[in-house]
Amino acid sequence: MTVTVLIFGPLADAAQADRLSVRVPPHPTTDQVLCELREQHPTLGPIPPAARLAINHSFAKPDSVISPDDELALIALVGGG
Amino acid sequence: MVHTAFIEGPIDAEARTRVHRRFESMSPPRVEQGDAGASVRFEGIVRRLEAGRELAALLYQIYEPMATREFDRLACDVAQRHSLVSLVAVHSRGRVDVGATSFILEVRAAHRAEAIVALGEFIDRMKQDVPIWKRPIWA
Repeated sequence: MTVTVLIFGPLADAAQADRLSVRVPPHPTTDQVLCELREQHPTLGPIPPAARLAINHSFAKPDSVISPDDELALIALVGGG
Repeated sequence: MVHTAFIEGPIDAEARTRVHRRFESMSPPRVEQGDAGASVRFEGIVRRLEAGRELAALLYQIYEPMATREFDRLACDVAQRHSLVSLVAVHSRGRVDVGATSFILEVRAAHRAEAIVALGEFIDRMKQDVPIWKRPIWA
């Protein structure tokens, strides 16, 4: 299946996009999505190890299983304050 | 008692007045009882130089509603961990020019030590957990 991951800030600038499509196996975990994202979108540059995926506006655990209707967002390189 | 908010653009004099009025109205019984022995305030201002280049402004982007949820969660957690009397945090979204304020944090506690520690912890954790990004607009 294909999932869409929202991206922001420096990563969005690098990708020149605000969202990326990622091909994943059925019922992927958060970790799998992140792994495939790094693999399929090398133009993003290095995604920090501390980057986390949010599912439906909440931080997800690495083994959280993603459903087709979930909203995914990559939370990395935040810069408030 | 905690209060957080995102506002459009810089935190100007009018916004600061609203923040102060909100702050003064919070937990009045404890404040009137004299529970707060320390009040500390931090203001984040957009600098002119970023990595040696001159900025005109910063453009703040937030991911809602997660940003509000995490901002609130952080404020409640820090206030509870440090037994604060009150905490107010306001952050800009959108464009903020050089020299203008993009972030205000005000903390009241019984003693100076916990107020100062809480202030530092809030900022450190905000920079990790709250989905706010800033883009430079160069001069």
